[in-house]
Amino acid sequence: MKTYEIVVCALFAALMAIGANVSPFLTIGGVPVTLQLMFAILAGGLLGSRLGSFSMMAYVCIGLAGAPVFAQFKGGPASILSPTFGFVLSFIAVAYATGKLLSEPAKKAAYLYTGAVVILLNYVIGTHYMYAAFRWWAEAPQGFSYAVAWSWMAAYLPLDLAVIALSLAAVPKIRLALSKRSVYIIKE
Amino acid sequence: MMEKMIFGRYLPLQSVVHRLDPRAKLLFIFGFVIVVFLANNALSYGLLAVFTLVFIYLSKINVRFLLAGLKPVIWLIAFTFLLHIFLTREGDLLFEAGFLKVYEGGVRQGAFISLRFLLLIFVTSLLTLTTSPISITDGLESLLKPFKKLKLPVHELALMMSISLRFIPTLMDETDKIMKAQMARGADFSSGPIKERVKAVVPLLIPLFVSAFKRAEELAVAMEARGYKGGEGRTKYRLLHWQGRDTAALIILVVLAALLWWTRS
Repeated sequence: MKTYEIVVCALFAALMAIGANVSPFLTIGGVPVTLQLMFAILAGGLLGSRLGSFSMMAYVCIGLAGAPVFAQFKGGPASILSPTFGFVLSFIAVAYATGKLLSEPAKKAAYLYTGAVVILLNYVIGTHYMYAAFRWWAEAPQGFSYAVAWSWMAAYLPLDLAVIALSLAAVPKIRLALSKRSVYIIKE
Repeated sequence: MMEKMIFGRYLPLQSVVHRLDPRAKLLFIFGFVIVVFLANNALSYGLLAVFTLVFIYLSKINVRFLLAGLKPVIWLIAFTFLLHIFLTREGDLLFEAGFLKVYEGGVRQGAFISLRFLLLIFVTSLLTLTTSPISITDGLESLLKPFKKLKLPVHELALMMSISLRFIPTLMDETDKIMKAQMARGADFSSGPIKERVKAVVPLLIPLFVSAFKRAEELAVAMEARGYKGGEGRTKYRLLHWQGRDTAALIILVVLAALLWWTRS
């Protein structure tokens, strides 16, 4: 890896940590919404699949090593046990997929396609991890089942879809802004 | 939001636990997280609790710091405990008040699960309290070395972690500044429908990303000007030394696992 590539991945991991906690003004039922999904998509879209997924891996490692970078300022090795850790892991896949599917110049259909893949990856990995967690180590609430796990996700679906659409739309905007200011962009 | 991001959680004291090799500590913690699940009766949980208390004592960390780390999860623990007390119907009936029936099995189950949670949090927060972030990164790099064969850039990943830790506060400041600048121009982040509020984030992103890319470029140039040439053949200022006490720590963990296996029912 080139030095610039390492540094840019590091900064995206740092941005991800901010994205996880930057939104005290966005709450649903008291739970702050995180912009992690948005930053994962932007990492993939702006850095490409390889660097995007590396930056997300670095983010996960920082969190596991103990820095409070996950949503709601959580961190530490015990985060693996959290039922929502699957979502954190899914960001690696999300960044990779976005980078792969949204290579420039992307057509309109590619954006729709990428959005669908992103939401699928995020929900499938996240929900299965959550299901496994409640099955085996976390204590499940009474009447927990596979269908219940998915029904919990339904509440977040509209917001997540909006965030995905906005982030995908922001990718070309940010690319344009970067090229206007003659900032070096990585081409894979 | 800055105040909550406390990175200075590392407490530099002189203790056996502090002096352990970060690799040993990382292996120990990940082993412990698995071993905890072996316990399933009063005797094995008691053993675990005693073991954890000894560990805390050896680290010389003030219990106050450990309790502070507990604050965000205390409600979760209390909630799971209550859930078990009222919903698990096993063993003898202990107490009845109207529709509430508390069974002996429920109390036991609730206590065990809360205790497991508590022990896990104590032991994992000991890692961050007794090890500086830099040594944790060094330890991770060294432990992940075998993955180099799978083409995972381990050295680069460790470097990314250190750089990123350094830049989180800087970028945080920057986000704050950009947010205030946009608010001065009339951006509204705190009212209106959720969709509008998410939309207001986009004008925040562009300056943030532009500045992040610029910083990256500057830092990369600075690193190369100082002779950074990648991980191959690079030597280190701080070397990790595996010593007898590190092996001993892992042996103790294995003994604990064996004891738990023996006492569990």
